[in-house]
Amino acid sequence: MTKRYRLLSFAALVLAAVMLCGCFAGADEEKGLLRTAIKYDITTMDVAKTTDDYMIPMNVFDRLFETRVQDGNAVVVPSLCTEYKVSEDGLTYEFTLMDGVVFSNGNALTASDVQYSFERLLILANQNTDIPLEVVGGQDVMDKKTETLEGFKVADDTHFTITLSAPNAGFLAELSSPAMSIVDKESMTDGFGTDPAAMIGTGPYIVTERVANDHYTMVYNEKYRGPEPTVKKIIVKVIEDANTQNLMFQNGELDMIDLKNQDSAIIQSVYKTQYADRMVSAPNVGMIFIALNENNEFLKDVNVRKAIGAAIDVDTIITALYNGDAIRENGIIPTGVWGHNDNLQGFTYDPEAAKKLLADAGYTDGQISFEIAVDNALPSTVKTAAEYISQSLNKVGFNTTVKNYDHAAYLDVRRSGAMDSFVASWGMDYNDPANIMVTFFGSEANVKARSLNYPDTAIIARVAAAPAIVDDEARKAEYQALEQKIISEDAAWIPLYASMHLWCRGPRVASFTPQWAGFTDFYVTDVVLND
Amino acid sequence: MKRLLQAVLVLLLVSLALFVMLRIVPGNPVAVLMGEHANEATIERLTAELGLDQPIHVQFFRYLGGAIRGDFGTSYSLGKPVSQLMGAAFVNTLLLALAAALFAWIVGGLCGLLAAIRKNSIPDRLFMGFSLLGISMPVFMVAMILQYVFGYWLHWLPISGVSDWRSFILPAIALGWNSAGSIARLVRSTLADTLEDDYIDTARAKGLSETAVIWRHALRNTMLPTVTMMALQLSGLLSGAVITETIFSINGIGRLAVQAINGRDIPLLQGTVLFATALVIFGNLIADLLYKVLDPRTRREVKE
Repeated sequence: MTKRYRLLSFAALVLAAVMLCGCFAGADEEKGLLRTAIKYDITTMDVAKTTDDYMIPMNVFDRLFETRVQDGNAVVVPSLCTEYKVSEDGLTYEFTLMDGVVFSNGNALTASDVQYSFERLLILANQNTDIPLEVVGGQDVMDKKTETLEGFKVADDTHFTITLSAPNAGFLAELSSPAMSIVDKESMTDGFGTDPAAMIGTGPYIVTERVANDHYTMVYNEKYRGPEPTVKKIIVKVIEDANTQNLMFQNGELDMIDLKNQDSAIIQSVYKTQYADRMVSAPNVGMIFIALNENNEFLKDVNVRKAIGAAIDVDTIITALYNGDAIRENGIIPTGVWGHNDNLQGFTYDPEAAKKLLADAGYTDGQISFEIAVDNALPSTVKTAAEYISQSLNKVGFNTTVKNYDHAAYLDVRRSGAMDSFVASWGMDYNDPANIMVTFFGSEANVKARSLNYPDTAIIARVAAAPAIVDDEARKAEYQALEQKIISEDAAWIPLYASMHLWCRGPRVASFTPQWAGFTDFYVTDVVLND
Repeated sequence: MKRLLQAVLVLLLVSLALFVMLRIVPGNPVAVLMGEHANEATIERLTAELGLDQPIHVQFFRYLGGAIRGDFGTSYSLGKPVSQLMGAAFVNTLLLALAAALFAWIVGGLCGLLAAIRKNSIPDRLFMGFSLLGISMPVFMVAMILQYVFGYWLHWLPISGVSDWRSFILPAIALGWNSAGSIARLVRSTLADTLEDDYIDTARAKGLSETAVIWRHALRNTMLPTVTMMALQLSGLLSGAVITETIFSINGIGRLAVQAINGRDIPLLQGTVLFATALVIFGNLIADLLYKVLDPRTRREVKE
C-alpha cells in the first residue's frame, strides 16, 4: 500500500469513527428525561435574591398556596396549607399546615420553617421583601432591629397566625408567588443559592447539579408527597443562540423549546407549519405599554398624551409583528388578572383625531420632540414595535426618536425619572391588580421611576389604599374607577398589547400546561411524557 | 526581563483604564443586580456592602492588591470567585483555541503548500478560492452552516454544548476557518517567492529531489512569517472566541465576558479583560521567542 493510500485509509477510518459516534449518540435517551433550554443562565437558585429565575424555586420548593390554571382560569389553591381563616377586619390569618410533609433531606416541615422563610427574606433584605414587609414588625426585621417577625405567631408545628399591618385582600395570591417559597430552617447553610446540595425543599424535584453557563439538572424527589410525575429528570441547558436552540429541537436534542426568542418568521414558517399540532400557547399575563413623563414640557399636556394614544395602530402591530399572537390591552389590569375590566374603553386608532388634538393644543408639525427609550434586553419584536410606534407618531406631527439603552443604563436613567418616555413590558408575579397598580401608581417613589411622574397625589393615595378594601366587589369597582381616571381621563399610561408565549413540544412530550402567567419558568409536574 | 517589565506595565495600564471606564459609563451595577423590584434604600445598602461607594482610587488599589494575590473578587451575578469561574471557563477556551489553531495550521498550511508547489494551476486557484472564502466568511455564518450540515442534516456531530471531544470539532473548524484562510495565503505567497530564489536553483542543480528542496530549504524560510502569524493567531483565538462560544454554547472566557458586560458584573469583566490582555501579551512574547529560534540572525542582532 502506498503512503498516499495509507493516508487516505486513515482519513476514511477517522471519518467513519466520527459518523458512528454520531449515530450512537442519540441511542442512550433516558426514560423520564426532559431536556429543555434557557437563553441566559440563572443568576442564583435563592428566591430571596431574584425576581427572574423562578424555575428552581417553583420546582424544588412549595408555597402555602399556588396559583394554578383550572378550567382556563387562574385560581389560588392551597398547597402546604390545608385550611385558613381570616379575621373580620382582614388583618389576621390563621393557617393550618398539611400533616406529614417532609423536606427532601427527611426533616419534617413545621410552622417554624414558614416563619423562618418569611424572616429570611427580610433579614437578607435583597429582593422579594415586599410581601413579608406587610406583616406587623416586618420593617423592624429589615432594619435589623430584631430578627423575629412580630406579626408571625407559631401555635404548634402545624398552626400559626400572621397579622398584617393593613388589610390586603390579595394576600393569599401573594403567598402563591414563587418569592414565598418555604425553606428548611434546620438545613440552611451559606451555600444556599449556589450549592445544589443546600437547596432543600418540599417540592417534587431536587437540584443535583449546576454548571454555571452550561446547564443544571433536577431529579424527582422520592420524598415528595404528591403523585409521581412522568418527568423523573430534567436538564436545563443554557443555549444563548436562538438558531442553535431551534436546530437542537428539530434534531431531537431538546424535548421542548420556548419560542420566546425565536424570530417570528421562523415560528411562522417552521413551527406553525411543521409542528402545528405540538404548539402550546399561553398569554403573557401582563402587557407592553408606554409610560409618558408628565414633567416633560410637551407630555404634561393631556391632549398631547391622548394624541399619542390615538396615533398608534396597535392592531397592526399585533398582526404584522406578532402574526396575531397577541391580544390588545386597554387598561392597566391585564387580561387574565382578577379585576380586569373587559369594558374599559381604551384608545382608538385615529390619526386624524390625533392631528386635531395636537392642533387644538396649539402645536405645529414637528414641534413636539421627545425620545422613546427602550431597554436593549427586551425581545427584538418589542424593539421593532417601538420603532413602528415612533414612525406612527411622526406621521401625525410628532418628532420622536427611539433610543436603545443597555440594561444597566436604562434602569439608572429610568429610576431618576428623567426619561421622556419608554416602551416596556410588565409580567404579573401574582394574580391581583395590586401587583401592577401599586407598582406603577401606588407611591411617589413608584410613580417617579415607573410611571414617570404621574402627578395626581389623590389618585396615588387611592391606589395605595385599594388593596385594603376587603369586600371583593368594592375593591374591583375601585380599581376599575382608578383605571378609568388614569387611562381614559389622564392618558397617563398607554396600554398596548400582551403577547402570547409560545412553546413547541417534542414527540416525547404528551402534554404541557404553562404557568398561569405565561412565565418562561414552569412546573415540571405540568409536563407529561409519552415514555 | 525588559519584556517582562513591559508586560506588567501594559497589564497595569489596561487594568487602570478598564477600572476607570467601567465607573464612568452610566448604569449602576447594583441596580442591575437587584433587578426591577429594587428600592433606593436596598440599592444604597448593597452599594456600600460591595464597596462601590468608596473613592475610585481606594477601590482600584483594593482591587490591585487582591489581583496580585490572585483574588479578582466575587462575581456580582454568579456569586462565585472570579478566579474560580475563569479557571473553569479557561479549560474550555484553551481546548477550543488549540483545536482551532491545529485545524487552521494543518489545513491552511497544506493548502498554501500545495498551491505554491502547483502555482497557477487549477489546484492553486481552487485552494486560493477556498482561502478567500475562509477570510471573507464571518464566523457566525460558518458556524451556522456547520451546525446545519453536520449536526442537523447528517447527525454526525453535536450541534452545541460540551460533552466529549466530538463537541469541539465543529466549533474548532468555525473558529479556525478564518485563520486557515490567512495562513494558506501567507504560506502560498511566501513559498512561491522562495521557490524562485537563486539558492533554490542551486539546490536543484546539486541534484536534490524536489521534495528535499521544498522541505529542507524552501519551507524553512517560509516558516518565519508563518510562525509569527500562528503565534499571534493563537492568542487571538484564545481571547476572541466570543461568537463561537456563544453559538455553540461553550462555557468559555468569551461567553463569560459577554455575560459580565450584559450584567454590569465589574469584577468578572475586569477579570476576563485582564486575562485576554495577558494572553495577547503572552502570544506576542512566544512569537518573538520563536522568531529567535528560527532565525539565527535575530539572535546575532541582539548580541551585537
